[in-house]
Amino acid sequence: MTDIKQDDIPASGAAGVAAVAAREAVPGRRVRRFSADLSAVGEPALWGFGGALALGIILIAGFLFMIAWNGVTTFWPKPVEVVELRDGSVIAGVATRGGPYRVGEDVLVRLDDTQRAEITENGGMASRTLYKTANFDLYGDDFRWVSDFEVAGTSTPADFYYFERQQWGVFVGRVAGLVIDGQAQPYDAATMVREQRRARERFEQIRRLERREIGAINHRIDQERLAMRRAALRHGADSDRTRAQIESSEARIAELRAEFSVLQERVDAIRAVDRAHRVQLEEVGGRQVDTELSQIVRYFAANELSFTQKLGIYVSRWWEFVSTEPREANTQGGVLPAIFGTVAMTMLMVVFVAPFGVITALYLREYAKQGRLTSIVRISVNNLAGVPSIVYGVFGLGFFAYTMGGTIDQLFYPESLPNPTFGKGGILWASLTLALLTVPVVIVASEEALSAVPRSMREGSLACGASTWQTIRYVVLPKALPGIMTGMILAMARGAGEVAPLMLVGVVKLAPALPIDGFYPFIHLDRSFMHLGFHIFDVGFQSRNSEAGKPMVFVTTLLLLVLIVTMNATAIYVRNRLKRKYAGAQF
Amino acid sequence: MPHPIPDAVVADGHSAEARAERQRQRSMQTRRGVILGEKIAGWVITVGGLMVIFAVLGIMVFLFRVVMPLLSSGEVLGQVNHRIETRAPVVWVNSDEFQTLGLAVENDGGVTVFHVPTGATVLREQFDFSADVSAVSGTIERDRIVLGFTDGTVRFAELGVSNTATPESRLPEGLVTLDARDRTAGGQVFTRVQTGDFRTLTPEISLGEVEQISEHAIIALDYRTGGTVERPTIAFASVDAVGQVRVSRSRVQRNMMTGQETVRTTTVDLPALPIEPDVSVTQVLLSGSADRAIVATDDGRLHRYDLRDLDAPVLAESRRATAEGVAITALTFLGGEQSLVVGGEDGSLSVFFRLQRSGAPTADGFELVRARDHAAMPAAVVDLSEAQRDKSFVATDAAGNVWLVHSTSDQVLFEFARSGEARGAAQAMIFPRGDGVLMMAEDGWMEAWQVRAHHAEVTIRVLFGRIWYEGYGQPEFIWQSTAGTDLAEPKYSLVPLVFGTMKAAFYAMLFATPIALMAAIYTSEFVDRRVRATVKPMMEMMESLPTVVLGFVAALVLAPLVEEWIAAVLLGFFSLPVGLMLGAFLWQMLPPHVALRYDGFPKFTLMALMIALAALSAYNLGPAFEQLLFQGDFKGWTTGRIGTGTPFMFLILLPISYLAVGWAFRRFLGHHYRALLGDRDRAAAGRLDALRWLLMLAAAMLFSFSVASLLTAIGYDPRGGFVDSYQQRNALVVGFVMAFAVIPNIYTLAEDALNAVPGHLRAASLACGATPWQTALWVVVPTAASGVFSAIMMGMGRAVGETMIVVMAAGNTPIMEWNVFSGLRTLSANIAIELPEAVKDGTNYRVLFLAALTLFIMTFFINTIAELIRQRFRKRAFQL
Repeated sequence: MTDIKQDDIPASGAAGVAAVAAREAVPGRRVRRFSADLSAVGEPALWGFGGALALGIILIAGFLFMIAWNGVTTFWPKPVEVVELRDGSVIAGVATRGGPYRVGEDVLVRLDDTQRAEITENGGMASRTLYKTANFDLYGDDFRWVSDFEVAGTSTPADFYYFERQQWGVFVGRVAGLVIDGQAQPYDAATMVREQRRARERFEQIRRLERREIGAINHRIDQERLAMRRAALRHGADSDRTRAQIESSEARIAELRAEFSVLQERVDAIRAVDRAHRVQLEEVGGRQVDTELSQIVRYFAANELSFTQKLGIYVSRWWEFVSTEPREANTQGGVLPAIFGTVAMTMLMVVFVAPFGVITALYLREYAKQGRLTSIVRISVNNLAGVPSIVYGVFGLGFFAYTMGGTIDQLFYPESLPNPTFGKGGILWASLTLALLTVPVVIVASEEALSAVPRSMREGSLACGASTWQTIRYVVLPKALPGIMTGMILAMARGAGEVAPLMLVGVVKLAPALPIDGFYPFIHLDRSFMHLGFHIFDVGFQSRNSEAGKPMVFVTTLLLLVLIVTMNATAIYVRNRLKRKYAGAQF
Repeated sequence: MPHPIPDAVVADGHSAEARAERQRQRSMQTRRGVILGEKIAGWVITVGGLMVIFAVLGIMVFLFRVVMPLLSSGEVLGQVNHRIETRAPVVWVNSDEFQTLGLAVENDGGVTVFHVPTGATVLREQFDFSADVSAVSGTIERDRIVLGFTDGTVRFAELGVSNTATPESRLPEGLVTLDARDRTAGGQVFTRVQTGDFRTLTPEISLGEVEQISEHAIIALDYRTGGTVERPTIAFASVDAVGQVRVSRSRVQRNMMTGQETVRTTTVDLPALPIEPDVSVTQVLLSGSADRAIVATDDGRLHRYDLRDLDAPVLAESRRATAEGVAITALTFLGGEQSLVVGGEDGSLSVFFRLQRSGAPTADGFELVRARDHAAMPAAVVDLSEAQRDKSFVATDAAGNVWLVHSTSDQVLFEFARSGEARGAAQAMIFPRGDGVLMMAEDGWMEAWQVRAHHAEVTIRVLFGRIWYEGYGQPEFIWQSTAGTDLAEPKYSLVPLVFGTMKAAFYAMLFATPIALMAAIYTSEFVDRRVRATVKPMMEMMESLPTVVLGFVAALVLAPLVEEWIAAVLLGFFSLPVGLMLGAFLWQMLPPHVALRYDGFPKFTLMALMIALAALSAYNLGPAFEQLLFQGDFKGWTTGRIGTGTPFMFLILLPISYLAVGWAFRRFLGHHYRALLGDRDRAAAGRLDALRWLLMLAAAMLFSFSVASLLTAIGYDPRGGFVDSYQQRNALVVGFVMAFAVIPNIYTLAEDALNAVPGHLRAASLACGATPWQTALWVVVPTAASGVFSAIMMGMGRAVGETMIVVMAAGNTPIMEWNVFSGLRTLSANIAIELPEAVKDGTNYRVLFLAALTLFIMTFFINTIAELIRQRFRKRAFQL
């Protein structure tokens, strides 16, 4: 039987037409003419099929482009517009988006005749713009829709600044005055720049003192308390050892408290300085807000920026995004803890998934006799791959966190009960759950990689007197390693993007502490963590103002997608590199 | 490694040859380490491989284990019975939440406080009753009671137990040990608790003054407390021997400034009962806020008074509640006062709801409706007492049976029978925590059962059947696991969630299947290798897109857009296929050499361009389209306020009628048409074919419109069915975005299956003169059918379990309607939303695990079947 490869066949819709055309070229043959039997070519159906493929590609490309565009442009500084409305009021803000909309009856009634005629001419549509007016503390909202027919005039005055504040989000307005060291001064750009930088340094200093040093003291006080409880549980409440422990612990706590109050005084002193450095901000309508200079994270005269300045702000915003913690209910600031959590969880997951996945693949390929049992194993693998991720979350919560974690707590952490240590969601349980979820990916990829190793190599090794395990260890595994690595990285990509099960087993919207820090035992597998995917869900759906959080969601989405695409790309890179490396080992 | 040669061997004088031989033999032996390594590796790998099976089974078994207690029946943990030393018939009994102290009020004014586990008398007090007790009633907590006497007087009393903690050092002297746990002194009971202190239970008994309220004996009473914390209400209703019903209500008003409390008491005589002289009242019941009273009579009727305006009480309704000639012998509200339990002389137990119904034949528009009948007791029901924390009650009958019944789930949880030693009528109560029942007979015989009712509110019928819940007009499938108040009924029907899952999966598959399959067929059969090499990885990359991203885009970007441009979206469903077909017919008009030259990638680009054009025209024509068909307001149209069902039915029927017209054309005119085409060259034939297509399109529209009009004429309107009022987050958006998530799955697997069809089949078909289109349709697709089907199954498995998209974009309303424009709630979304808040091992926790198990089993079946089909297909493909 001759096997004709698919490539040898002219695979195109016009093949039939070609045949037809060829036949038509022969004159005078009165056979039944199929020439124009268009139904045989199926052109409309072909277009439908091709259209489906094109539609799929357009959707994917459009989707990726939308995410990329929104994510990339978010941090670019935009001008502040001052818009005078026909009713005499003035608003200032950054135009975010706009488009045509259908004007409601109630609005139409209030308009004058020419405007109404114009709208009617447009089929009842008018266009509008969404301005980010910011100043949430004054307006109670961050955004405002302005229809084009409301606008009397727009301008971009030079003295309008865009302030990013530590609290209350953005402020858009002018600077009305400064207070330096308790002395009121008129606004001066150079002073403002200098003092704001100093104020931020003070702010960072306070934060460092509170986080690091006071945090460490609190941690040690907690440790002493736990030590007392542990002693009471182990040796009985009345025993001598417990009494000795209590005595020493309380002495330590008293010492720590003293240290604490010293630090607190230092913090209070800096705070006092901070309060003497203030700035008066004035919104477009003239209302003022008095705030400490240290509250202003970043500010710029939005309408006066040169391209390089814009670029500088753009880069500094990105840097802030990837290197700091979130503020303002996650809608501002950075996502460092989420990046950290995602990466740590994924790494931990790989530690669990790698051996299990590879061993199963080895069993299926190298050890088991192909038969009913392997068939069942394969169906099981397939089922593991097909079970909804949320079911893993349920299992992880019930089995890992509550059952296993609860047991660990009773055995090893009785002093903290009833507060659970491992008996709740945490990074360990999350990564175990995801390991279970991604193991089929590793198994399938590893099996493919193992089956790609030529039989001759195995036989050669065995013929040289190596045992089965030696053959696997020194011949098969090294050859299959690139494929196995690829599977592992694909599993990482899958695990990093999964959110639903994490919602049940330990992800939180704001983690007070990272899973790795400077306190013994340094790696805290029991801790909850933040995650980029959950961050998207949280900011987009659970914050007070989803519109204000939307830019943040886009940027986080972009980051997550880049992370996952990078992992996929790395998979390919690693595979190629290893292929080259082991190419010499081929027979 | 040189081996030391034993001296003895050397001494034996063997030759060097023999030594060398021995050494070679020894080195040929496998080292022990290698053998050990081999064994360990084999063992570890086999166990590891089989772990996958254990993992799947383990997940299933674990989920089962968590779910099982939901369906297990309760268990009796302990039982005690004692004869309490009482001196007169017992008329009322109460106990504390720890099942430690019992308080029995006797007919002669005596109160006996006894220790429940041992029956020992702890305290005895004697009050002076001027007459025999003829009626008694208490609040739901049973610690405040009212006693009615034969001389027409009533007295209020308190009969409670207070709970305090006493440190060991301050225990009183002279403690008497009651049992291993409890000690007593001076009427108090002390129990050591975990903290080391002693729980101290002190009986609090007091009796109020005599109040004369009637000339005649009091025959029925009810006593209620209610209102808010700021304005507590105390109310009681009484019925005397001549059938006069009175209601008194006291409202305490606290002056915010002075903190002074003023009590305002209103007493009214209710309108006379519409009863015959020989009929007498058996029970009276009052609501906590004293806005309605219900009187039961021994002719089996209920009389409901509307007391919302206490100065003008109205007899709102009288209705029969039991079978003809059967007296009502017991009556009680369930917790929350929404359900009324009626016990009959024949042992029947029925539950009534007060529902507001239009056209109710009553004075106030409400009506008592019989919601369910519980299993009947063997003899007349003599006492009913409700639980304080859920919807269960305990019923006692004349034959001495004591039943604990859960009303919502309609099951008798426990059937107790008192022992033969008890004499006289009995009453029973549920301990305040709902963990036991105390029965007291008139002669002082006490029995107490300690029980654990596992999740009494859930049965198979509750989970999967229609249940008539309080406040609803009829039995329904409802999911509402948590509510504002403790006494609201949790509603655990999984049916709306399964329905939501199906609905989301259905709409997703509706979009995904055709697109994915057509794209897969096109990729596998009609594009060259290079295009395939770029398109396929792109689709595969789509598979790894996090669904949280898709969900976010669906909810925050797409949903508002679709809402704004719904008309354009609807139009898009038609403009896209029409645009593509237009492109195809235009292409057919091209001369053959041009068509042949630009076949392949340019043609594919043209297709993409056609799609963009079609989308653009939908965007531009959307408003005009909306104006034409839906009077410019599609969302208004969906609510049913304007227009008829014709335009929408026209759109729905359009594809079907196009197919019908196409079939009819081919069937009746196909031959003539082919003959007509046969005489022309390709370009001319293409023109004719385009004309035919336009005519067919027009015919289809005409046909569809006439059928739609006909349907409207016979009164069919899709609104209220699969189209209804528009919500922003709806099944359309979810279906669309979920399709986006599912398409890559189906596409990749289907493409693999199509690609696995051996090339010689294609070659044979083409060699026989078939066009690639005919080859694809009649050779490749049928061969790969089972593989393609398994791809669809896998895609469905994913759609069923998808979580984040649904959580974010589906609105999460557990309603059951096929409406494309309404939200839904799936099993998976429900788990993601509710499980983080659910109490471990609580009912909701276990029901959510059941939801997970349901999902697991659903996908398990789908995946197993798909995998089996795929394995079969693979075998067949290899055989070909």
